Amino acid sequence: MARAHLSSDEFFDRLSVLLEAGQQKSHGSIYLTQKRLSYELDAASSLSTDKVADDPTWDLHPPQPMPVIIRATDGKDKKRRAEKVRFSTVVQPDQLAAFYARYAEVCKGGMQALKKRDRSKRKKDKAKKRKLGGEDKKG
Amino acid sequence: MPYFTTSQEWQHHSSLLLQARPTTVGQLPPLPIPTPPPPNPDTKLTQTPPQTRITTKYTITNPSSPSFQKRKAKRATPAPAPPAPSTEPPESNGVEKHSAAPRATLTLKTFDPVSGVCLKYRTDKAAEVGRLIGGLGRLGRHMAALPEVLEDTAMADAPAAEGTGTSTPVPAARDALPATAESKAQSAGGGGKKKKKGKK
Repeated sequence: MARAHLSSDEFFDRLSVLLEAGQQKSHGSIYLTQKRLSYELDAASSLSTDKVADDPTWDLHPPQPMPVIIRATDGKDKKRRAEKVRFSTVVQPDQLAAFYARYAEVCKGGMQALKKRDRSKRKKDKAKKRKLGGEDKKG
Repeated sequence: MPYFTTSQEWQHHSSLLLQARPTTVGQLPPLPIPTPPPPNPDTKLTQTPPQTRITTKYTITNPSSPSFQKRKAKRATPAPAPPAPSTEPPESNGVEKHSAAPRATLTLKTFDPVSGVCLKYRTDKAAEVGRLIGGLGRLGRHMAALPEVLEDTAMADAPAAEGTGTSTPVPAARDALPATAESKAQSAGGGGKKKKKGKK
């Protein structure tokens, strides 16, 4: 995980490419993971160790909201690590809502192999009913 | 590994787990605080406590591919002893019969690496994706330690989705009824005409 995190725009671009690739291959998995990013990226990890020592439940009420890290991979195993696709992005707390709104759109667009809601039956049924009603009136 | 049957249940339990253990602290360091660690990347990595994480897995399987057939055969051989493996979704058999097109499942997993708690939910319905990602967003707020937003319409639209699910058998019943009604109407009309003719 030595790579730099992507901006959310780049992340969504690559995620849609990844989903599209899975769609065309028509088998395989895509993994999306999210968790709290609980240490500073630059330094100052001593801050968190102090907190842990003071209070075992410090994480239940952190002094300020924390960013969330979101990772995406195509689930390639160790043998094929060279061709593994993986990337991540960090979402700041104030951007969470906007991020997830877009995240939902990208996922909805990319996950096309899932079962669609079946509306065809209902439509056919309505058409039949209408026909029947017309015949009854005539007769 | 058990799966939750509804996404609401999964959502509820995941949010409880995240609230309780957002950053699970495995072993506490010894009370006399060790000397401040040198800022090199190795120690930084070991010091980060494991966090409860949510993994969303989107799997596409192609029933016509040879590797899938092989796996299916492997699974089928030990299967006969237990009549219905509970981990399999009930609809899987029906789907396999008529679909040669690739089908996908979406599996959500909340995992706490320290206590080993693992909460899962699996679906194959495209209609649920939006709601589930919305749920991930709400869980993301717990992860970020933000206060919970007011309950939005997510709960309100859930029963609606269930309603459409249960209504699927109804069209079949309707199909059957109009057919009989139609034949009755025709026969009745014919009878009426004959009577009129007889009167004249």
